[in-house]
This record gives sequence, C-alpha cells and structure tokens, in this order.
Amino acid sequence: MFNIDKLLSELLYDPANPVLFNSGFFFYFFALFILCYLLASNNKRARVIIYTVFSLYFFYKACGYYVGLVILSAIVDYNLSHWIHRTPSKSTKKTLLVTSIILNIGLLFYFKYTNFFIGIVNDLTAGHIPFLNLILPIGISFYTFENLSYTIDVYREEIEPVNDFMDYLFFLSFFPKLMMGPIVRAADFIPQISQPYRLSSEDIGKGMYLIIAGLFKKIVISDFIYQNFVQYIFDDPSKHTGLECLVGVYGYALVIYCDFSGYSDMALGIARWTGFKIPPNFDSPYQSSNITEFWRRWHISLSSWLRDYLYIPLGGNRKGKVRQYINLALTMLIGGFWHGASWNFIFWGAMHGGALALDKVRIDALKKRKAVFAGWKAALFKVIGILITFHFVCFCWVFFKASTFHDAWSLLHQIAYDFQPEIAMDLYNGYTAVFWVMIMGFILHFLPSKAEFSMETILGRLPVAGSIAVLVIFVWLLVQVKSTQPMIPIYFQF
Amino acid sequence: MSGKNKSAYPFYIVFGTLACLVGLSQLNLNFSFKDFQFRKLDLLSDLRTSENKLPDQKSFTAANKTGGSKHLSPGDSVSTGGSDSLAAANPDSRYDYLSYTGILEYASPEAADNPGLRRFLAALNDLKAGKRSKVRIAYFGDSMIEGDLITADLRDSLQHFFGGAGVGFVPITSVVASFRTTITHTFSKDWKDYHYKNSPPSNVLLGLSGHTFYPGGSSWAKYSPVKKPLLDKFEEVSVLYGPAGNGMVTINDKPYTLTGSRTVNRLDLRQDTGAQSITLVNSGNAVPLYGVCFESENGIYVDNYSFRGISGVELGRLSAAMVRQMQEERHYDLVIMHYGANVLFRPELTDYSWYQKPMTKVLDSLRQDLPGTSFLIVGTADKSYRKADKYVTAPGVEALLKVQHDLAADHGTAYWNLYAAMGGEGSMVKWVEGDTVMANKDYTHFNRTGAAKVGALLYKALMNEYRLAQQP
Repeated sequence: MFNIDKLLSELLYDPANPVLFNSGFFFYFFALFILCYLLASNNKRARVIIYTVFSLYFFYKACGYYVGLVILSAIVDYNLSHWIHRTPSKSTKKTLLVTSIILNIGLLFYFKYTNFFIGIVNDLTAGHIPFLNLILPIGISFYTFENLSYTIDVYREEIEPVNDFMDYLFFLSFFPKLMMGPIVRAADFIPQISQPYRLSSEDIGKGMYLIIAGLFKKIVISDFIYQNFVQYIFDDPSKHTGLECLVGVYGYALVIYCDFSGYSDMALGIARWTGFKIPPNFDSPYQSSNITEFWRRWHISLSSWLRDYLYIPLGGNRKGKVRQYINLALTMLIGGFWHGASWNFIFWGAMHGGALALDKVRIDALKKRKAVFAGWKAALFKVIGILITFHFVCFCWVFFKASTFHDAWSLLHQIAYDFQPEIAMDLYNGYTAVFWVMIMGFILHFLPSKAEFSMETILGRLPVAGSIAVLVIFVWLLVQVKSTQPMIPIYFQF
Repeated sequence: MSGKNKSAYPFYIVFGTLACLVGLSQLNLNFSFKDFQFRKLDLLSDLRTSENKLPDQKSFTAANKTGGSKHLSPGDSVSTGGSDSLAAANPDSRYDYLSYTGILEYASPEAADNPGLRRFLAALNDLKAGKRSKVRIAYFGDSMIEGDLITADLRDSLQHFFGGAGVGFVPITSVVASFRTTITHTFSKDWKDYHYKNSPPSNVLLGLSGHTFYPGGSSWAKYSPVKKPLLDKFEEVSVLYGPAGNGMVTINDKPYTLTGSRTVNRLDLRQDTGAQSITLVNSGNAVPLYGVCFESENGIYVDNYSFRGISGVELGRLSAAMVRQMQEERHYDLVIMHYGANVLFRPELTDYSWYQKPMTKVLDSLRQDLPGTSFLIVGTADKSYRKADKYVTAPGVEALLKVQHDLAADHGTAYWNLYAAMGGEGSMVKWVEGDTVMANKDYTHFNRTGAAKVGALLYKALMNEYRLAQQP
C-alpha cells in the first residue's frame, strides 16, 4: 500500500533520520535534481538557481530551519567582502575583516563550544550554570571556514569578490560538500560556475569511480566493520581483551578513513558529474612514512586551510625554529578543537601537533647531515616509517574515538595488561566476515594509484547501458551488505 | 579528451539505474545460495505503510492468575500494593507479572514460613530499630553486574538509609578488577583460579562466588579503599578460606596461621587505622582462598557475586556444605538472583523449559540450604536484536520472564521484573539510543549510567516493600 502522508513526511526534515548520501532518499533527490539541472544546462543563471534551490532543500532536509544560517552568513560575508574590497582605507579593511572573523567564529563558537565552556566554568567554580539546549547545525564547521577563507582572500587581494550574490550562495550551499566537506576554496570554485556544462569521458569515468568507491568504502567497509565489531569495543573496552581492543583500534583506523574519505569521494564524484572539479581530500594517508606526510594526505582541505589561514599568519617558519614548533603545535591544537568540543579532541590535536614539531626536528637534523638513503636501506626505513606512523595515528585515534579519557585509558590498559593472545582463533571465528573485510580494506588502501586510474578509464569508456549495468549490480551488492538503518557518519558532529 | 559532450550521461545513468532497480523490486526476486538468503530489492519500502509485524507469540497471558493462593494477595501481611488496590476493578491486571514494575511476592507450601521478602523485611526492621547489627544481601549475577555495576548503587543507597560502610565480599582475583570503582584491587598473576568454567578437580570445592583461588609461590592480592563516601576506609576486614591444614599468609607483613578444616573458615582482622590498605601474601602451605570482606561495625552489606557468561544454572554446582557453612560465617538475609542475558543467546527462541528444569533444582537446593533467607528473582532486562531493519525487543525476553516468574512463584520467592521497570517493550532501544546513553551497543549490557539507574530502580522497589511492611 502506498501512503501519501508517508510520502509527504519523507520530504520534511526529520531529526531522527538525517539525509545521507547513502540513503534511498538521496537517490530520488539526485535523480530529480539531475533532470532539472540537465534541462537548465544551457543557461548559467538557471543552472545556478536550480543547484542552489536543491542544495538549500538538502540543507533543510538535513538540519531543518538552520538552513537560514547558511543564507544569513552568505548575505553577511558577501556584503562584508565587497565592502573590504571597495574601501581604500587599510584600517577600515582590517576592521571589517575582524568583524567578519568575529561573526563567523562567534556563530561557530556559540553552537559548538558554549556548552563545553559552561561545563568548564561549572567544574572550576562548582557552579550550576544550565547547559544550552543546542543542536549543532550540520556543516557549520565547514561553511564557517569557507566563509573565512573567502573574506581573508579578498582582504589579501588574492581574489576579487564575487559579483553575483546567487553565485556566492551557490558556492556556500553546494550540496555535495555540505555535510562533510571537503572545505572548498572560493578561489577554486567560483571560476568554474560560469564554465559551460560539458562533460568528457574522463569526467564520467572519474565521477562514477568516485561515487562507487565512496559508497563501497562507506557501506561495505566502514559501516560493516563498525556496526559489527568496532562499536562494541569502544562502547565498553574493559569488557574486551587486549587483543580485541587492538584489533578494534586497527578496525577503527579503517572505519574513520573509509567513512570520511568515502563521503568525500562521493562529494567529489557528484560534483564532477555536475561539472565541478574539487581537489581530492585524501591520498591513501596510511601509506605515509612520517607524520608530516600523513597530514599532507589526510583531510587535505582542512590541513591546507589551517596552514594558509592559521599557521602562516601565526608566523609559520619565518620567526625562528622555536616559534615554528610552537606554531605547529598550536595549529594542530586548534585543529583538534575544530573536530569537536571535548578534551579528547584537544588532546588528540595536541599529540599530533607535538609529533609534527618533533618530526620537523628530525627532518632538519637529516637535512643538516645531508643523510640520503638509497636501495634496500631506503625501503626498510620506509616500511618502518609506515608502521610507526600508522601506530602513532592509531594511538591518537583511541583518544579521538573514546567517549571519555577513562574509556581511552581502559582500552590502552587492556592492550598493555590483558592481551590474552590465546583467544585469537575464537575471535577470528566470531567475526570472520569482519576480519576479511578489514584485510580487504587495508589491501585496497595500499594498492598503487595506477590501479585506480585504470578503473576510471574503463568506467569512462563504458556505453550508457554498461554503466547502468555496473551501477545496478553494485546497488544490489550494497543492499546485501547494507545495514538498512543508516549510520550517522563519524564526522557529522564536526 | 574526447570531443563529445557527455553532460547528459549522468542523467541517463541515474534514470536507467533507477528504472532497473524499480523493475527488479517489482519482480520480487527471492533466492538463496547455500545458507545465505539474499535480500530482496525494495526501492519503495520507505513509502509503504509498514505491515503489522507483531511477534508471533506475543501474548503470554499473565501466569498463575488463577493460582491466587500462591500470590500473596494485596492486604496480606506482606502485600505488594497498598490496601486500596483491593478497590481496583481487576487487581490481577495491576500485578501482571509482565508489566508490574514493583516487587511481587509469593508464598509456597514448601517454604510456608518464609514467603516473599518477609524475613528480609523483618531483618531490615530490626536493623533500623537497633535490634541487630548487620543485614546482608548476596547479589548473584552475570556480566550485567560485573565490576560492581548495579550493586554499587544499590549498596550505596541502602547504606545511606540503614547505615554501614564497605563493599562487602571481594574475590582474590577478578577479570574486571581494574574496572571496579568501589575498591582498588590488584593481585599477582600466579593465583590458580578454579571456577565453573574450567572443571576444577573433584577435591576442590568452589566458593559461593563460583571461584576458589589457590596461591602459587608468593601470590599476593592487595586491596585499597577509594576516595568515595562510605568506601574511603577499611574497618572490619575478614578473610574467607577453605580447609586450611595450617597454611600461612602474611597480611600487611604480619604472619597469620590459617586453621580450620571446614569448607568455609573465616579470619577476622581488625584494621588498625594507620594502614589504609590490605596486602595478603601467601607464605606457606597453599590454602584455598575465597575472598576478603570489608565491612564496618554495623549496617547493611551487598556482596557482588558476578560471574561472566553464566545463566544461573551453574549455581547448582555449589556444594550444600559450602553454602551452609558460608551462611554460618557470613549470614545472608536476602539472596538476589539476576540472570537472563546469557539465557537469551538466541533472541527468537521462546521455549525455555530447558532452563526452567535445572533452575528449579538450583532454587530447590538453595532454598533448602538457606532456610531463613529471603530470595528475590530479578527478571531479565530487555534485550534487543536487529530484526529486518531495526532493533526490537527479542521475542525470547517475555518468554524467559514467564519462566523466571514461574520459578519465583513456585518457590515462594519475590520477583522483580527489570524489563518492565526499564519501560517494557522497546525500552533497551531507548536506553541505547536515547539522549542519555544508558546501555551499550550490544543492546544487552548497561553502562555505568544505566547500571546506576537500575540500582536506583531496585532500591526504590525494595524500599516500597519495606515501607508497606511498616504500615499497620
């Protein structure tokens, strides 16, 4: 029986069922969107309006009337940046920029960090200030940073302000990157708006590859091992042996990577199919052989944002070694805090910051000694480096994921003091499918990028019917694997 | 770069795929491979009215409604409700074992002089009136109470009302020692732990906790108080041990000879106020040890007897001599039995006669060995499992509750339905997914917050009985 009320209620915002790329709803939404978009493809303004309307609706579906915040912040930053551009006075420019920063950061702080600070004040003063009943508007961490980079770029006179408000609103609300990034720079994006909507075989192949790879990472790898294994471990580490905890941490490393990068891939793929190129956000990060490299490969849009708008303004490496280390650590500390209002994230950021500073010392020392390794030595160092980096990152993930410090420590305690390797076979028998998916995940992660490229080429050359067949079989596979209740992606809360 | 503009391709692909998928879901393909049943494609499921998906065996009618003679009716001396309940049109429905959130008390011919909680409530009365110095509760359970979960909160509330300080019994070693927050407990790795699961030799008698510990060369165990009210110092400490044969231990560097050939023996220590921890070191013949008890001069004590992974049937392996002698050394006024999580290992199973039979034996012998002790059976907590797309209460829950209730009614014990107290059907889903997370993602175990809530609910239910018993 079809139920019209149910159909209508599906179209409204439902806090219990936020829309995700991997939900059935999104499929219909995207089909309708792509139809309208194609019909308008020859008129730039119509294209922008359709894309924006669909994006704002998507926003509404994801977080209700908070969609107003996006529109409001677009209006404010659009006008402020024009004002900054027009005014000849340096000091007025600066004042306006500071106003924009305060407004954007203020909004983010209000929604994301107020309760955290109320908690600290209560703890310090034994006070009872009531917490605010706030729901974090989805995507606010991302579009706040996009607003900031845009205004700062205008202030630095690196770009001209956008002439059409609709273009700016379109940039800010662009639905593929709305919920989980990547953080797109206006300088990269805005010029693409006025390009005609043309797609090559390469675009089709690349887009399709990214969408399929993203869904695969999210549903087949991340959700599957999270729901069937990892969540149980982190829920109550003290109830599990050290071996389980260790495998759980390895599993989580895969879960967070596949979840986040899978979502980014889908965003990139959808953007590509609609004529927009967004730079990649991940580059097989666990292949990194040192922590500096890791941060060049992990959440690239965030780390490069932090570099350009935080680390460099702080002085970067221009104010001496000590300042450079401090700047690195401070940048990462703030980066950690960006992920969420808790001491766990701050601690996580601080550990990465500290590691980056130490790595800088190592790199400088190697430079000084002009040490260059080659042959088997280089290969050996690389493998050791990859193992150390991966385990350091995993160690930090424990604090990132555990809901409290107590949980994080008890997980580490289990690994250190209650390992119980003898249960290995039982563990394998209990979670056979999960472990094979994990092994597959890690193998795929270490494949060379050539393999990726040839997949894209094959997909790009397929005739339409072939592409449809591939997608139908793939969706059928997903239905088999997919746990139907969609999991909230881990980066949602940021 | 191919010159052809393929901007219509995404549209073709998406609509083509959508059409194929809708077509496929209309076909209603249903096939399986070996044991694996492939799931049907159903693209339009979100838009359909869900069919009535009631579990098959939903309606277990309240048992023993007609056996009113068993159920201590309201107005009886240990009634379950106020006397006004008599005025209710259908009193039975108020005390339906599946939905009543308070404690139900039963009497049985076999234990006619010790029905429900009567003895325990009388003991509480005496304690409050200063006519006796201590009341003890032995709380048996599985992983649900590990690390002093539930019992810690129950103990704390009871001790605030009736007096007493200390955690009661603590075993020599424990897999969850680091998790326990009511005492700091560390131990050497060389204790030999015989227990239910590792088939101890026939000459080893298991202690009440289901464990007996044999020291190795210089095995040690150390207990320190924690900085919490009622738990921040040790006052009366006693060591429980098995047939001794002149074993030697040192406790805080002082040598003690363990004597006594009975199954359960007790060594009392007066904790001098200077030393704020207890370190027990084996220093001679290996004596089987059960645990160390921490109490103050008077008040109420709740001993946590958790054993991971058991269903309660294992208690049948405790020897009558051990239980009786334990009662002499450490008198219990109430035994609480809280099991179920490990009985419901197959969520859709609804026949628990295999559980009822051995549990009947367990209760028969415990009732016999502890004639003056009241018993409370805690019905299983809600347990959910994933059915089709979402988590729902396992059909086995209500089926098991019926068995647990019948065990209570048949043995004249008290019965408390934790499932109903949690909120009944679907409550575990709320406890896991609610704003305040009170249970783990396995939809079975409580976390600390949830355990505290369960402890509070049980305290409330017990106090309700206590207050009703006070009324003339």
